[in-house]
Amino acid sequence: MSGVLSLDPSYYEALKRLTLELAGVKLGDDHTFLVETRLSALARKEGFENLSDMIDQLFSRGQTRLAIQIVSALLERATRFFADREGFEILGDKLLPALHPLYRGGTLRILSYGCSSGQEVYSTAILCDRMKDMFPDMDVEITGVDYPSLALDRAKEGRFTHFEVQRGLPIRHLIDYFTRDGEDWVIKDSLRRRVRFADHNLLSDTQSLGTYQIVMFRGRLAQYSPTAVVRIMRHLSALTSANGYLMLGSHEELGKINFGFSAEPVAKGCYMKPAEAPLEKLVAEPVRTRSTPPVEYKDINFA
Amino acid sequence: MTATQKTCLVVDDSKMIRRVASRILRDLQFDATEAGDGREAMVMCRSSMPDAILLDWNMPIMDGLSFLKSLRKEPGGDTPVVVFCTAERDVTKITEALEAGADEYVMKPFDSDILESKFAEAGLV
Repeated sequence: MSGVLSLDPSYYEALKRLTLELAGVKLGDDHTFLVETRLSALARKEGFENLSDMIDQLFSRGQTRLAIQIVSALLERATRFFADREGFEILGDKLLPALHPLYRGGTLRILSYGCSSGQEVYSTAILCDRMKDMFPDMDVEITGVDYPSLALDRAKEGRFTHFEVQRGLPIRHLIDYFTRDGEDWVIKDSLRRRVRFADHNLLSDTQSLGTYQIVMFRGRLAQYSPTAVVRIMRHLSALTSANGYLMLGSHEELGKINFGFSAEPVAKGCYMKPAEAPLEKLVAEPVRTRSTPPVEYKDINFA
Repeated sequence: MTATQKTCLVVDDSKMIRRVASRILRDLQFDATEAGDGREAMVMCRSSMPDAILLDWNMPIMDGLSFLKSLRKEPGGDTPVVVFCTAERDVTKITEALEAGADEYVMKPFDSDILESKFAEAGLV
């Protein structure tokens, strides 16, 4: 395969380092073709003659904006509506009923940290809308944040392709919450009003984001380096309000550091943050996944 | 076919679509059979009602919607999970299919991921 690729192997190594440094994500070794495909699209969009010209410019002039765009393009992940469905069952069956007494008459805030093209945000909004009769006196506000990228732009627009809306989304939800626009399907305003999106570097300070009663960071941990995991977990803890919940993937669990969350999950992959958070254990063991092998970036579906 | 294997009847006037869909369904552990139109499908259902039906809309002799309406009136015709699989994308058409008794709806073109996802929605995988 490498014979048909235009990207110099040393550039690929440099891109791996850049992605690790800027985003804490480990790129795999054997997906250079897919990486090249993504960056070629970005190079065309940015007006470069070819991919090598763009990478030359990145490493010779050290452009921050271009570096962020490149890393964002590399980090873009394929996702689907109601991915890891078990988590949505936990959200609907346990977390919302548990939080309802505390937020009756007020607003419950949910954050999707690393929302990519927005399917998790809109799936959550759909779930909350389906359950609104159970909690008529509680508003729900859902926020999605991620690195600035084309995926996040699509999330903000609420526009999905014919293929995207058929992955994980029941047909009744499609006709209830989307309108057809040519070949695409667009979220109806009634649902869009419940959500908002913001650009945010997942490794940077979260103070401006406020706190949330439910913070979702599902199925992402394994792609980050151990150092980045610790930083992200500290951010997730700061973002979660007292008595709030952190939702990891249903196959993920906290390691020996609990970052202020309960040591034991309240449901698979789901941890409560007690009102008086216990002190973090000073044992440097990163969060780990259970029952599934470590997922490197090469395992992410670029299609 | 094993005792626990689910059966799916693929109804489409395109031989190529039937072949592709059947292959995907076999990968999903279904015992897949095929019919080229609604009337042929009805004969097969009367002989042995499948667990699921993947159903095209526009077909000669008997179209998918007419077949579905007739099927639901047959003895045991309420049991198969029916997934429409059609190029029709209008919300009106989709609604019409659901009101006639369809359980899920796939818009062509589709791939194996979509078919698996829709069959999962319908509780079949």
